[in-house]
Amino acid sequence: MKVLLIEDEPELRKSIKRFLYQEGYVVESAEDYEKASEKAGDYDYDCVLVDITLPKGNGLDIVRQLKKNNSKAGIIIISAKNSLDDKIAGLDLGADDYLPKPFHLTELNARIKALIRRRNFDGNQSIILNEITILPEERRVKVKNEEITLTTKEYDLLLYFVSNKNRVVSKNSIAEHLVGDNADQADSHDFIYTHLKNLRKKLTEKGCADYVQTIYGIGYNFKTD
Amino acid sequence: MKLITKTILFFLLISLPLLVIACMYSYKVINAEVKDGTDEALYLEKLNLQNLIKELDKPRNLYLRSDSLTSIVILPEKSNVNTFSDTIIYDKLEDENLRYRLYRAYFFYNGTHYLISCTKPTLEEDELKEGLINSFILVFGFLLLSFFAVTILLSKTLWKPFYKTIEQLNKYDINNETPVVFDKASTKEFKRLNETLSRMTEKIFSDYRRQKEFTENASHELQTPLAVIKTKLDLLIQSKKLGEEELEFLQGMENSVQKISSLNKALLLLTKIENKQFKEHKVVNLKAVIEKVSENYSDLFQEKKVTLTSVLNENVVVDMNPALADLLISNLIQNAYRHNKENGSIEIELNNHKLIVSNTGEPLQIKPEELFVRFKKNDASKESLGLGLSIVKSIAGVYGYKIEYTYTEGKHNFIVIFED
Repeated sequence: MKVLLIEDEPELRKSIKRFLYQEGYVVESAEDYEKASEKAGDYDYDCVLVDITLPKGNGLDIVRQLKKNNSKAGIIIISAKNSLDDKIAGLDLGADDYLPKPFHLTELNARIKALIRRRNFDGNQSIILNEITILPEERRVKVKNEEITLTTKEYDLLLYFVSNKNRVVSKNSIAEHLVGDNADQADSHDFIYTHLKNLRKKLTEKGCADYVQTIYGIGYNFKTD
Repeated sequence: MKLITKTILFFLLISLPLLVIACMYSYKVINAEVKDGTDEALYLEKLNLQNLIKELDKPRNLYLRSDSLTSIVILPEKSNVNTFSDTIIYDKLEDENLRYRLYRAYFFYNGTHYLISCTKPTLEEDELKEGLINSFILVFGFLLLSFFAVTILLSKTLWKPFYKTIEQLNKYDINNETPVVFDKASTKEFKRLNETLSRMTEKIFSDYRRQKEFTENASHELQTPLAVIKTKLDLLIQSKKLGEEELEFLQGMENSVQKISSLNKALLLLTKIENKQFKEHKVVNLKAVIEKVSENYSDLFQEKKVTLTSVLNENVVVDMNPALADLLISNLIQNAYRHNKENGSIEIELNNHKLIVSNTGEPLQIKPEELFVRFKKNDASKESLGLGLSIVKSIAGVYGYKIEYTYTEGKHNFIVIFED
């Protein structure tokens, strides 16, 4: 799985690269428009992460270039300018997703996975994790082949965990994922706790192992290793 | 107090004592003049009486009036009397006491001492007072009436540009991207006023815009460093070498970074709402939005044992930006949940005119009008950012909705009024 990361801030580039590398991706990076354009033209990627404000150019032009060349790559715009206009412009140009900075790496990871899943039309759409089977297209979940009914939030939470399995996922990143960007997240910890409790109960009732480990105060690890 | 009322009051304050003084002075003058006139007439009368004495064939007493006040009386000896005095005489005809001026003078003629007395009715003081007061009241009334008329006329014509300016200022909305254009005034003072106001509003407008730009830019500039910290923390917590203590430190950092980033996002959001950057709008069914948001909160409600009852009209549609409609409802419900108590309740009522979100809870500790002020929190210890209701108010402001707050029977009621 090849990812092109176009980001001018070196520290952010380093973090994203490191995290994606740990996820098993091959990550190429570019720090300005020229290099990004060159790399986007020369190689094929499964996913391109592009910052809008770049030295020597605009990230949206990279999106245009990729679309013009009929690239198969999924495109996620990562931008500090959380502006609706940019978002609409980016999505109109054919970008698949828009992630405003600052974001959690686990969120980025979940978005990349969702994007790749949507782009891989190889018939097998389900995510299988030991006794859990998730059918993302239909938002259905089976445990040991028995269907369980989850609320929207519980389903989102499970998918988020599964996308970031064997990683520590912070409570704050879960809150942002579930509640969304614009919410004041003061009660988010109650919020997560409630949903997690219900999710765990529904899974274990059907004989699913309890994969969720609490990591002292900070978050959870959906451990399947 | 209105300018007219004030002017008239001033006028009253000045003219009333003046009139009273004038009234008193006139009274004095008239009184004195009348007295002088009467005395002069009495003196002439005395001269007449002296002539009468001279024509008498022999000295005798003469009573010229039945009341015996005009009389010539022979005195046994010399006297020094020569006095004017006031006296009151009962008049049978008019059945009242009348005031008279009495003049008594000694006269010596032909070896006989005489005392001449003569009287003349003088002005009734009461009548004078009454007359004076009546006429002054009349004058005052006329003055007042004409003053009223003049003032009203002046305020209708002279002050017209002034009131126009006030009206224009009232309508001025700083979020409206257009500066105020005042009408041309022909009065020099008002021209100056309008010019000054124009300059001021332009200055306010540009300052306001600069400040907004600053907030926006500062928030944007903060995003990248925040992103760096956030992602580094994400990487750090993956480490297997961390002990409980280190994790605790990290948790503190995590939460603080999260708070800054939420704060930043909320401020940017507020700026965007106020800049009217949510341009796209469509018909939104509020019932559907409320049901969706309540569904998201249902688990939380259960956990806190908060019961939700809602009476929602199916057909309430508003022309709004869907994201803002969502934010409006979710911030109101979030607020109702957050400031609720265990086993409390939330009631939502929606009809064509208004939306009411009520929740049980302790009375406010801050002033109700401070509820919607940024960063004002009723309970300072609560983790909330204190921006939720500001966001609600901003959104309402964009669409011209009114927001009201009441506290009744242990319930906080937030009322969004769609139209007047």
